[in-house]
Amino acid sequence: MTSAESVTIVMIEDDEGHARLIEKNLRRAGVFNEVVHCESGTAGLKYLFDARAVSPNPLLILLDLNLPDMTGIDILGKIKADDQLKRAPVIVLTTTDDQREIQRCYDLGCSVYITKPVNYETFSQAIRQLGLFLSVIQVPKVP
Amino acid sequence: MPTTRSILGRAGLLLLALGALTLVLVDAGSIWLGSKTQAYGLALERAQQIRILAGQLQNRLDDAETGQRGYLLTGAESYLEPYTRAIALIPKSFEQLRPRFAGTPDQPLFDRLTGVIDEKLAELKHTIGLYDAGQHEQAITLVRTDRGKILMDQARELIANLVVTSDADIRRSADDMRWGSATLQITTVAGSIIVVILVTGTGFIVAGYARQIERSSEEVAALNRGLEERVQQRTADLMQANEEIQRFAYIVSHDLRAPLVNVMGFTAELEVGIAAIQKMVDTVAQKQPELVSDDARLAATEDVPEAVGFIRSSTAKMDRLINAILKLSREGRRVLTPEPVDMAQLFAGIVDSVRHQTEDAGAEITVQEHLPGLVSDRLVLEQIFSNLIDNAVKYLDASRPGRITVSARAQAGRLIYEVADNGRGIAASDHERIFELFRRSGTQDRPGEGIGLAHVRALTRRLGGLISVQSEFGQGTRFEVNLPRILPAQTESVES
Repeated sequence: MTSAESVTIVMIEDDEGHARLIEKNLRRAGVFNEVVHCESGTAGLKYLFDARAVSPNPLLILLDLNLPDMTGIDILGKIKADDQLKRAPVIVLTTTDDQREIQRCYDLGCSVYITKPVNYETFSQAIRQLGLFLSVIQVPKVP
Repeated sequence: MPTTRSILGRAGLLLLALGALTLVLVDAGSIWLGSKTQAYGLALERAQQIRILAGQLQNRLDDAETGQRGYLLTGAESYLEPYTRAIALIPKSFEQLRPRFAGTPDQPLFDRLTGVIDEKLAELKHTIGLYDAGQHEQAITLVRTDRGKILMDQARELIANLVVTSDADIRRSADDMRWGSATLQITTVAGSIIVVILVTGTGFIVAGYARQIERSSEEVAALNRGLEERVQQRTADLMQANEEIQRFAYIVSHDLRAPLVNVMGFTAELEVGIAAIQKMVDTVAQKQPELVSDDARLAATEDVPEAVGFIRSSTAKMDRLINAILKLSREGRRVLTPEPVDMAQLFAGIVDSVRHQTEDAGAEITVQEHLPGLVSDRLVLEQIFSNLIDNAVKYLDASRPGRITVSARAQAGRLIYEVADNGRGIAASDHERIFELFRRSGTQDRPGEGIGLAHVRALTRRLGGLISVQSEFGQGTRFEVNLPRILPAQTESVES
């Protein structure tokens, strides 16, 4: 078991503004974990597969589905296909609210699916609640 | 086609006329033959009677002569008896024969016979008269002159002639009849042949006609099928195009949303930041007013908050519009589930839902009785018609009591639902514009984003339908929604 603080949050999000807003609101909720921001799917996968080997910290992945170079679904599939990474919780945080997409993500093994609210107030509130949620969940260590 | 048909018709008529003519000819022939047969019968009867009567006359003449001779030889009254009897009967024979020759070519012959017989009878009478007067020798001498014998021979010959001529008469009319019957036979055979030809010809024409009609109806059926296929193809194309537009709208609005979240988010951050700066400027202005320039104070207290305010209101509006597009496209992506829909019930529900507004406005909604139902998506139909009714109620003319009518009619396998009002009406230049997104028409005194009718049109198209508007400004508006009677079930859902 690892303390919540040692968990590294890997955020795969192409929109820098969103990434910044998400991080800000997480901090406001009292989440002070390391947040690694990857701006593309490729960069995200590279970090994850490198970190798997070197990082001592367990990982929690925040994943956007609409990425320029590949879809978040592909990334999710690759994560869940990897023996080591598959235990890392994946929180899909995206603008898409299509029922089929949601279903597909859960089928592939995502832990939580959250639709980014359009309204900023609701958005920041949701991220803060996510932060509160993150502070209580247990994350397995990447072996 | 009409030319051949009329030619066929003319040929048919000609054949029919020929058939009728043949029939008339055969009929006339048999009537003529009938009259000939009758004539033959009459001639036969007459000839027989003439033969009998002539024989009688001959016998009577013979009797008269025999009586005369016997009397002259014997002087016995008994011998005279055949004479007297014959004398009495001969005029009767004439009486019977005369009408049979009256007006015939044999009349002269008969007249001659009567003359000869009169002379003979006169001779007989004369000789008997002489004998009775006792002049026996003179009477015998008179006989011996052979005049009586000659007369008698003449009479016999004439009688024989009469018989012969009447026999010839029979032959003549028999020949006539034979000829007539032969002619009739030929006519009948010819007529029958003609009739058979006509019947065959007519049969061919009728068969040709029938084939032509069959071909035409097949062509019509094929055209119909083609038309149906085309309509289905077009409807499918239209639905696909609509689907593509919906998908496009969805993607665009989705991608617009992401930067908008940033704009709104950082505006909020900016607000928080400026509030802090404002507080600081206030504090500094209180403690060391010389450090705060007018520009900095103005920026912190007025310019920046004002700018942030405009950004917020604009982004809020943009957010609403994007939401509207998203809602529209999301509706377009919903999988339709066709089911039998009772439109009367559906409209009753809509009318109930706007009852509050109609009662306030003193308006009345009339729904046609026995409104035909259809198989379609209930939710979409509800949205279409409640939008139309809402609009009708929303844009009534305050100067007159509102009258909204809902009716329907069938047309070519489709149903046309009509929502008509006597409200403000729409200017002709806006008839197309009102269906566009974010466009509105007339006095802008009612809340709205200009989404309703765009939504209605998109929904109607999804159901394979069409919507049109007829309106006169200041008079009222009539929306017609043309829908297929049965919406085909979607086999697969729309891909995202």
